Formats: sequence, C-alpha cells, structure tokens
Amino acid sequence: MTGIEIFGAWLSIFLTVCVLSFLYDDNPIYKLAEHLFLGVSIGYGVIEIYFGVFKPNLLDKLMNGELGGFQRSLSIIPLILIFMLFSKLVPKYSWLARIPIAFIVAAYAGVKLTGELNANLMTQVAQSIPDLGAVWAEYGFWSWKHDGAGVFSSLFLVLGLSACLLHFYFSAPQNKAMQQVSRFGVLTLMLSFGASFGYTVMGRISLAIGRAQEMLGLDRLPEQVAQIHPRIATVVSAAIVIAFLVVWRRRQGDDYTPGN
Amino acid sequence: MKLDTLVRFQNMDRRWIFLGMGIAILIPMLFPMTLPFKVDERVQSLYDAVEEIPAGSTVFISADFDPASRPELEPFFRANLHHLLRKDVKFVAATLWPSSPPLVMPIFEELTAEYGKEYGKDWCFLGFKDGKELAIKAIGENIPETFPQDIKGNKIGDLAVTRGYKQAKDFAMIINISAGFPGTREYVLQIQGQYDLSIASATTAVSGPDYIPFYKAGQLNGLSAGMPGSAQYELLVFPDGPPEGVRLLATQSVNVLNVGHAFIIILIVLGNIAFFVTRQAEEVE
Repeated sequence: MTGIEIFGAWLSIFLTVCVLSFLYDDNPIYKLAEHLFLGVSIGYGVIEIYFGVFKPNLLDKLMNGELGGFQRSLSIIPLILIFMLFSKLVPKYSWLARIPIAFIVAAYAGVKLTGELNANLMTQVAQSIPDLGAVWAEYGFWSWKHDGAGVFSSLFLVLGLSACLLHFYFSAPQNKAMQQVSRFGVLTLMLSFGASFGYTVMGRISLAIGRAQEMLGLDRLPEQVAQIHPRIATVVSAAIVIAFLVVWRRRQGDDYTPGN
Repeated sequence: MKLDTLVRFQNMDRRWIFLGMGIAILIPMLFPMTLPFKVDERVQSLYDAVEEIPAGSTVFISADFDPASRPELEPFFRANLHHLLRKDVKFVAATLWPSSPPLVMPIFEELTAEYGKEYGKDWCFLGFKDGKELAIKAIGENIPETFPQDIKGNKIGDLAVTRGYKQAKDFAMIINISAGFPGTREYVLQIQGQYDLSIASATTAVSGPDYIPFYKAGQLNGLSAGMPGSAQYELLVFPDGPPEGVRLLATQSVNVLNVGHAFIIILIVLGNIAFFVTRQAEEVE
C-alpha cells in the first residue's frame, strides 16, 4: 500500500469517530466532519455532472465541427433553457424559469406515467387477486417452508388490502361495521409499518457494523491490516476526539445545554 | 421493579442507549460466534437464476450504490461477481449513481484479474450516466447511444464484449445492485414490463419491503435485501466456506446483527412495560 492509501485509511477512521461524536452532542469537531463531507460530495457531484452530462451532451455538440449546422443549432435550445432556469435569481425575470421547469415536469410526468400504470398499478392489482386453487395446490393452507405462503396468507392479503382501502374511504357513513373494518385496516397498516421499521433498524445497524468493521480492520486482508493498523488509528482518533470534547465541554462551563 | 425505577428508565439519557448499542455491536465482532441461518426463497431464486445463465452469455450489471450502502451491498456485489466469473459469464456494467465508479471499479479489476478475465473481451465498465429514470429508459432502448464510451474512454463499438448487445433485452439478465433512487424500482417501472426483462435485484434493507411485491408479481426473478440477503447469497456461492483471500463480510456480520436486534427488542419490551405501568399508576393517582 502507498503512503497516501494508509493516510486515507487513517483519515477515514478519524472522520468516522468525529461523526460518531454527535452521539454525545452536537459539537464543532462533528461540524467539521459534516462540512467536509458536504463540500467533498458537492465538489465530486459537480465534476461528475460536468464531465458526464454537461460536456458530452452540450459543450461537445456545440463545439463539434463535424455536426451539421442544424444539429449544432439544436443544441443551443437546451443552453437557452439552462440560462432561463437561472433567471430565478432576478425577480423581475423569474417567470422565465417556468418554461424549462414546465419541460422538466412534463417530460418526467410522461416517463413516469406509463411505467407506473403498467408495472405498478396494473400488475400489482392483478397480483392482489390470487388464484386460490393454484395457491392451495402449490402451498396448501400454510407453508412454513415458503415463509407462510398459502391460502391463509392470500386471503389475509385480500382482506387486509380491502380493509386498508376502506379505512381511507371517507364518503361512507362510519357505522359500527365500517368502524370494525377500518380497525382491521389500521391493524394491517401497523403490521406493514412494523415490518418496514424492522427492516430500517436492520439497515441502520448494518451501517454501524460497516463502520465498526473498518475501525477494527475486519474488512481488510491481514497484510493490509499489518500496514494500516486500523485499531491503533481508532484508539488515537478516539483519544483526540474525547480530549477535544472534554476541552470544549469545559469551555462551555455552566452555559452547556445538551443539544440532542 | 419499582415505579420510580421505571420512570427513570423512561426518562433515561438516550446516550446510554447509543453506548449500549455500540457495545452490542463490538462484543460479537471481537468474540465471533457462529449461529446457523437459512436461505430465503427470494435469495435462492436469485442464485438459481444466475446459475441457469449459460457459460459465455453476457449480463448487464447496474451497480447503483454508494459508500453509505457499502456494508449491505458490497458483500453481495463481490459474491455475485465471483458467481458470474467462475461460471464464465461475461458482463457489461454501468451505474446511475455518481459516487459508485471509484467504489466498484477496483472490485471489478481485483476479481476479474483473479479469474484471468480480459477487459473489453470478457467485461467492461461503462461508468456513470446521469438522467435517472430517463437513463434507464435509454438503457432499455439503445445502450451504445446512452454510453458512447466506456469509463476508460474507449468507444463502445471497439469493445468485443458489447458487440451485438444494443438494448437491455439483448442481455441474459439485468443484475441491479440498488441502494435507492434510481434503482430497482425504476428498472421495473421503466423497462422490465416493456421488454419482459429478467431482472435480479440486491437492495438495502430499507428498500427490501418495497420490492417484495415486485418479486411476488414475477417482475423480479430474485431479491436479496440488506446484509442478511448478502450473507445468504455468500452461503450459496461458497457453501464450503470462502477460498483463500476471500472475505465473507456479510456472513461475519449476521451474528452481530442478531445481537443488535436482540438489544433493540429488549429495549422495546422494557420501554413498553415502563410506559404501561407508569400510565396505570398515573391513572390510579
């Protein structure tokens, strides 16, 4: 490994510890890491967009002498639309920005509409009407082997979906029967939110595991660990950050109020 | 448990929870244990779909993830590349995420070199393309027009691996490693139905529940969600354990995940008990 790679690994661990210091409280060393991250991300994004989009799709076409005059002049249209977007900065001419925004919205709506209708609405509606005969033949009433697939789950899907839809149907009078159906709909929604919450928690813990693996050197080959010494980097970084937090906290004195 | 203890528990400084979670993650990492886990039907389908690709075919990989989703998706990405390369399947890769190229290119280079594959002949990386859903639509319609050059500046027509592959439907399979938008959802909505594509997806845990209906509807032929999905795929690709020099990061992490979950569940149960008992006591007062 080169010296710069080893420095990069140490910097990565130091910045991770800086960000984790937010768990104690919002503090300047966390802010430093946050601003650095934002700055680098924006800088990187701008370069990627310039070389990946702006240059090949606009500048190269405008400068390309091989293209005919008509094709080159066509490329001026997006350039004009870009300048019109910037008219937002001048209140007197800000209305001009509505034209490119209208193009963007219209194009996006057109692209989204067909996909949503075909793949999301139609296919998913069709899937919510299960063929119970086929489900019974394949899985029976309940199959432990297939994560609970079967007639019970299919019926629960149909009833739960119907109850959810009825819960949001406000035009019907809320009599006792409707209230019971609505309650079942809420229960189904809560089950769904619970599953999503569980997956979200899993995702967040996975992120923490990823950082811990890097800090402990578990994600690298032994020869790389021998060169980087990630555990030493973690201890040194933690010592610097803790020392900073102690000094920062003392300077605040009695004015200190926890920020989170 | 005394009432004032429960009240104190409810008002506990949240930093103790952070510390507890940190310890819950670190201990099983420092003292690893091996608990068995089973392979989900969705991951098995994904594995089977890749297994059925004939040797010599070419797949399209859309590596749409970033450093933030690396712990969840990189293990799958690596295991999937091992799977494809040892089956002699060629691949054309691209990404719709700007931060992806520096992350995935070294992995492509490392693993293809390990299997003795040649750039341009057995694989290529077309790099990043902006445009999100519009870019996906363009991949469905015309890849050479969408990516006139690869990441190294070669003209796409000069690469043997891309010859004869003009549209997404020309590939044996689309493998999408998706950390969010744009990703699997957009591939399914924009081009899967239109071209009847075979798409397999590895996604983050957060997106997992959203994509399960696509799998159930047959719009995806396999789905791996989060770190457990990656671990299961690793298990299928390396049933006898990893070869020398290969790290199964997701498999290592599954037990850590279990301990983390147990800690959260204990807190949820205790929090609920404390809430209901204190509320009852307040009502009595």
